[in-house]
Amino acid sequence: MTGILGIYLFDEKWNAGSFGIYGLMALQHRGQETAGIELIGQARRRVFGKGLVEDVLSHLGAEGHICVGAVSPYPVEAEEDVQPLAFNEKVTVALDGRVTRVEGYSWDASLSYEGNLRKAFASFAGPRGEIETVKEFFDNCRGGFAYIAVNHRMEMVAGRCSLGVKPLVLGKFGFEGGIVASESCVMDVIGERVPISPAENIEAGDAMVFTPFSARLVKGGDSSSRAYCSFEYVYLARPDSYINDIPIYRVRRNIGRKLSEEDRVDADVVIGVPETAIPFAMAYSNETGIPIEKGFELTGRRVRSALRPDQFERLKGVQLKLNVISEAVRGKRVILIDDSVVRGNTLANIVYLMKEKGAKEIHVRIGSPHIVSHCPFGVEVPPEDELIGRHLSEEKIAEVVGADSFKYLSVESLIEAIGLKRDELCLGCFNCVYPEV
Amino acid sequence: MSFAWAALTVFTRRCSWLKVLLVGGGGREHAIAVAFARSSYSPKLYCLSELVNPGISRIVKNSGGEYYVGNPNDPEMVLKTALKTGVDFVFIGPEEPNFHGVPDSLEEKGVPCIGANRQVAEIELSKASMRDLQWKYRIPGRLWYKKFRTFEDAAPYVEEYAESVALKPARQVGGKGVKVIEDFQVYLKDEKRKVKKQHVESIYRDYMKDYGDMDFKILIEERVWGPEYTLQCFTDGRTIVPMPAVQDNKHAFDGDLGPETGGMGSICCGMNLKWGVNDERAILTEEEVEKSVEIVKMMVDAIQLETGRKYHGVVAGQMMLTSIWGPTIIEMYSRLGDPEALNVLAVLKTDIVEICEAIISERLNTVKVEFEDKATVVKAVSPHGYPLSRDLAKGHLVLVHDDEEGIFWASADLKNSGTIKSGGSRLVECLGVAETIPEASRIAERLTTKVSLADGWGLFHRSDIGSEKSLERRIMLANMAREIYKYRERKGILGKRMIWMPGKGLEEVG
Repeated sequence: MTGILGIYLFDEKWNAGSFGIYGLMALQHRGQETAGIELIGQARRRVFGKGLVEDVLSHLGAEGHICVGAVSPYPVEAEEDVQPLAFNEKVTVALDGRVTRVEGYSWDASLSYEGNLRKAFASFAGPRGEIETVKEFFDNCRGGFAYIAVNHRMEMVAGRCSLGVKPLVLGKFGFEGGIVASESCVMDVIGERVPISPAENIEAGDAMVFTPFSARLVKGGDSSSRAYCSFEYVYLARPDSYINDIPIYRVRRNIGRKLSEEDRVDADVVIGVPETAIPFAMAYSNETGIPIEKGFELTGRRVRSALRPDQFERLKGVQLKLNVISEAVRGKRVILIDDSVVRGNTLANIVYLMKEKGAKEIHVRIGSPHIVSHCPFGVEVPPEDELIGRHLSEEKIAEVVGADSFKYLSVESLIEAIGLKRDELCLGCFNCVYPEV
Repeated sequence: MSFAWAALTVFTRRCSWLKVLLVGGGGREHAIAVAFARSSYSPKLYCLSELVNPGISRIVKNSGGEYYVGNPNDPEMVLKTALKTGVDFVFIGPEEPNFHGVPDSLEEKGVPCIGANRQVAEIELSKASMRDLQWKYRIPGRLWYKKFRTFEDAAPYVEEYAESVALKPARQVGGKGVKVIEDFQVYLKDEKRKVKKQHVESIYRDYMKDYGDMDFKILIEERVWGPEYTLQCFTDGRTIVPMPAVQDNKHAFDGDLGPETGGMGSICCGMNLKWGVNDERAILTEEEVEKSVEIVKMMVDAIQLETGRKYHGVVAGQMMLTSIWGPTIIEMYSRLGDPEALNVLAVLKTDIVEICEAIISERLNTVKVEFEDKATVVKAVSPHGYPLSRDLAKGHLVLVHDDEEGIFWASADLKNSGTIKSGGSRLVECLGVAETIPEASRIAERLTTKVSLADGWGLFHRSDIGSEKSLERRIMLANMAREIYKYRERKGILGKRMIWMPGKGLEEVG
């Protein structure tokens, strides 16, 4: 997954640069490896690098009233593969998710993923870069993705694949222009305060096209099959965002409630693992009447640890982020709620720390079903032989992590918590069933 | 009553040769012409405008009148045309003739005129004077403001204090040059300050450069939010007769996106912007409409008191339901709105000639002005380029498909050859009439395909105006504003703004 952002301001007086930076900061949770932005105005300039937005982009030195940017979780080798990607001299693209196939193009194994996209675009469009051409190219792409592209004619297009796997929303900036982004929280941070909903959902298959003379939504084909990513709701998106018009916070509270309904445990305190699992824990506590406590205090910068590629970094993240407050757990039976379990070693670490601080019992509840399979659409799930949920039963995991009991959320409960129909969701990482692309 | 009867008999007796001169040639004037064509007095209609409006031209011809091409802002020209044709009265469509004193020179020579004279039209001409007046008479719905003579005067203020503001040319310049900037997030302040300053400079140097008719050039007002609506009224200076409230859509593109235009379309149903004839969901409450009428009346009274002149014609409050005040004046119009005129005139049941006569003879209180219970939706169709690069929108050959039922010509020029060329603004305005706003919207939507440009240059319009989704949002927005202003009303702090200035104490505005 990647956080993508496009800002289109009609008046050339504007410099979209600082809007771009703060907008990408609002998407930082979607990718922390690289950050990049391109500004288009009198001149055109791409600024990018490895690291967080504030480190990479703080001194832009670029101007323009149109901007496209991305934060990405993928470590890349070559500079040209850092998002946003220059497809050719005219077109620059920010891309969330994964294009798995391009109609009429055969994948070149000697090239990187990004290299293949460039080659596929070149074979489709040649040196051209009209915004209609870019849109047609993405109409020919298969997979699970959302994209924002700008070109040399100061046009911008932002669209979602027909399955709608990856999210995309449209926000407004008064009479000045529009903003497109992965998540609606961007509008709260850089957009105008609109006292209704901050952003409008761009539907699967649709694309928003901006030109100096127009801004219009182009409806996609009539395909009605959908595969909205369910992991967005469990973990990826910010709780203040709306994905497909559904408030993430509501889903996370529903998950907490479902967890409390799936089985009853006698306990003294509910504790959520920061940050994602906090709303799960709040709802669990409200539902059961078991008081909720703040169980952890963090040291250093808030970094999302679960999907960090390297184990040392992950554990460092957990240990610094999650110092257990002993007074909250000493002598108590604890219901510990986390959002997901990938390999289980960070969880084991938390349980160990908590027992060390005097917790009497620890009952682990996970706000998502077991992760058993890879994601073809760009969510970084480790190789299948590393996934604890694929190989061990709940009872066994409890023993491994040192907990008194351990339970996942069921897939059924997850679907109900989200509130969409089963066949509108992609649940591949939980049940190995993938949409046809 | 006896006077009214006498006046009416005079008209009735000469009904066969009643003559009216219409000044202006846009969509609004086309709608006014249609209203006259519907009149039972069957007046001969004459028109004076810069371009030849194809729709008005046809009505003029059918009525036995004549079309004159000329400058409608030139009092001499209008007077000459009125005297030459011997019209019974003149109806002025746009605001600029009012600003140039056209009604004044007509009335001086004894030609009755429906149009605000130069002095009372000040409430539209000078947005700064309008606010001065509103504050002087403490009329409700007044926004906090500052006015400046030069860019140099305004710059330090913008630099130091201005936060979320509307930056406006202090004069009405065809609805152009307004920038509304919300400056709330401190981390984006530098960028917004820069643009605000640049825009204030361009108000001074570009938008106001051709207008020497006022001292103050720049107006800065507090930014407010809420649903906007236009409340148009007929007035003879003594009585105010409200027309149904209309909601215009100012953004160029669908979903309220893009630059400000003169108006891309408007909706109307009942007095208070109802969903449908038999559907009471509404953007405004009846009480809010009444309050708005009261505000417009107070403005008319104030400007008459201030100038000693009578207001004869149309006055409109371009209003917003804000969280601070409830009904709030954004701007005043000294004429019908465009496209708002289409909505109200389409449902006007009372004969427009009778209304005009009553305004002229100042007995508007004796006429029962009635409106049909229908929903109306207008959608404007514009060539690409409008509103930011009007030159690109201009001069394209227009093709008309099908009949022109429901089509009102706006910025279009009928050439001698019979061909029609686009002007630089909205080309046509399409009117749908039905039982509900969404139905009327679908009718108007179908009409938008009746015109195209021969050279393939694109046209655009807004398909979302009057849609269910857009109506729901407007009602929701109104509810949010209402909840807050009602709370203020209960607390007795309606319109009051209190700021704690650390070290200085409590500041109160309002």
